[in-house]
Amino acid sequence: MGERIDTRLLTELSVQSQDLNSDAVRLTKDALGDFTEQEQERAAKRRWGPAGMVAGLAGVGVVLGAGRAMAASSTTDIQALQTAASIENLAVSVYQTAAGLSFIKTGNATVAAFIKMTTAQHQAHAQAFNAAVTQAGGKAQTAADPKYAAVVQQMLPSIKAPADVVKLAITLEDVAAQTYTKNVSQVDDPNLRKLFGSVAPVEAQHRAVLLAVQALLAGGGAALIAIPTQPAMLPAAAGSVGFPDSFYSTSSASPVNEGAVQ
Amino acid sequence: MNGNDKWELQISEAELRTMTRDLDEAHRETIPTMFDRAGSFAEEIAEKEGRSGGVARRRFLMGAGVAGLGLALAACGSGSSSSSSSTTTSSAPAKSASPYTGDLKVVALATALENQAVAAYTAALGAAKAGKLGSVPPAVGTFAQTAMSQHSDHAKAWNAVLTSAGKPTITNVPLSGQPAVLKALGSVNSVGGVANLALQLENQAAQTYLFAEFNVTSAGGISTAATIAPVEAMHAAILYFVLGQYPVPDNFLAVDKAASPSTLTV
Repeated sequence: MGERIDTRLLTELSVQSQDLNSDAVRLTKDALGDFTEQEQERAAKRRWGPAGMVAGLAGVGVVLGAGRAMAASSTTDIQALQTAASIENLAVSVYQTAAGLSFIKTGNATVAAFIKMTTAQHQAHAQAFNAAVTQAGGKAQTAADPKYAAVVQQMLPSIKAPADVVKLAITLEDVAAQTYTKNVSQVDDPNLRKLFGSVAPVEAQHRAVLLAVQALLAGGGAALIAIPTQPAMLPAAAGSVGFPDSFYSTSSASPVNEGAVQ
Repeated sequence: MNGNDKWELQISEAELRTMTRDLDEAHRETIPTMFDRAGSFAEEIAEKEGRSGGVARRRFLMGAGVAGLGLALAACGSGSSSSSSSTTTSSAPAKSASPYTGDLKVVALATALENQAVAAYTAALGAAKAGKLGSVPPAVGTFAQTAMSQHSDHAKAWNAVLTSAGKPTITNVPLSGQPAVLKALGSVNSVGGVANLALQLENQAAQTYLFAEFNVTSAGGISTAATIAPVEAMHAAILYFVLGQYPVPDNFLAVDKAASPSTLTV
């Protein structure tokens, strides 16, 4: 494993990125704030019902129909948020487990630092999704996505080296990115579109880095997994292996209710 | 290249290229899905305007081919001649009332941003070939070529939506900020300088798509923007890495660097 990393520089970069990140966090909090206001307005409408619209003309059937439609869209939003939180919970758990593996602790310092930072980012995503869930009147999701938790359990015994961890992480990051990309056009609330849309690219970036790391590990270029790296030493293919698609696929996106609170 | 003789891959460059080719084939499989989505967007816009959605989809499919050709020609032009030719012109008439309104204004903005990226990478590759950037690492060259190709795919998709809506395609860079980009491109003389400029364009594009996701009303437009934003963000991650910076600096993508539709000059 390459140990060319300057850990002081990495710490400094992490601090800088935290500063930059605080702006993005603020923005997401704004989106959550807007979402809360809208949810309060919706809740008021739900409490009072669309009585103004029906004005005693159409009767109970219309009121119930409208109420069901509103409740259905709200359920989709809540389930999507809970499923997203469940994927984040799983990612946090996997990265935390990975961080404790001996070959990670004593291996490439950049890989270990990436795992630490990525864990924190997934924790922030889980918090944001759960905050939105509770603001929407749903229950926070503290469990892991059941489908992929089973996949992880199945794969854990075969994890023997950094490349195995990277392969598993790529799978989880891709599922997260695909799911949120799809969620953007599934949820009703524009503020939730903003939330899902602000997280999907970050998961895609994790995947891009992991794909590049995977290629370097496979090619015996672990020494180049460093910040800063040596661009001149990177193989040509390393420049493009991190972003294989022109358009982010959603064919493996998790269904909205996959990780919903039962 | 500097230092390449000091390090040997344990698998060959050919094997790595095969890995890349496999991924590229997977990518090609996603394009039809994406174009289907953009075609639905075209249908949706047509139906909102009281036109035939089916006709719009056919025009979209025809437009996808024509727009690709136009963009290819535009990219060649900006790479081979003085950059001043691609400042604020487009195939659409300037000055008169904009033909792009509502969601289509965002589509036009997206097309212009994609063209801007294609032109920037084309110019950078041209400068590299001419030896103006010093020694260019092979990975940086591959990055530029692949990112440029993906931006070209994005521009084709957006231009096809414009065609299907009966609007002029955009084959140049009608953005008020383009002269500044051209000036910056003309003055860089290092790989790091070009990478920094590319990073700004990629971040701007990703954030603009995020902005579109919660400001566009059409479902097709929302989903199309949502499938492109992560790709621009992935480009940015690799650029951060090449530049020696942490590759995923933010927990959440922001929109403070998003391009405003008001910067569109047509």
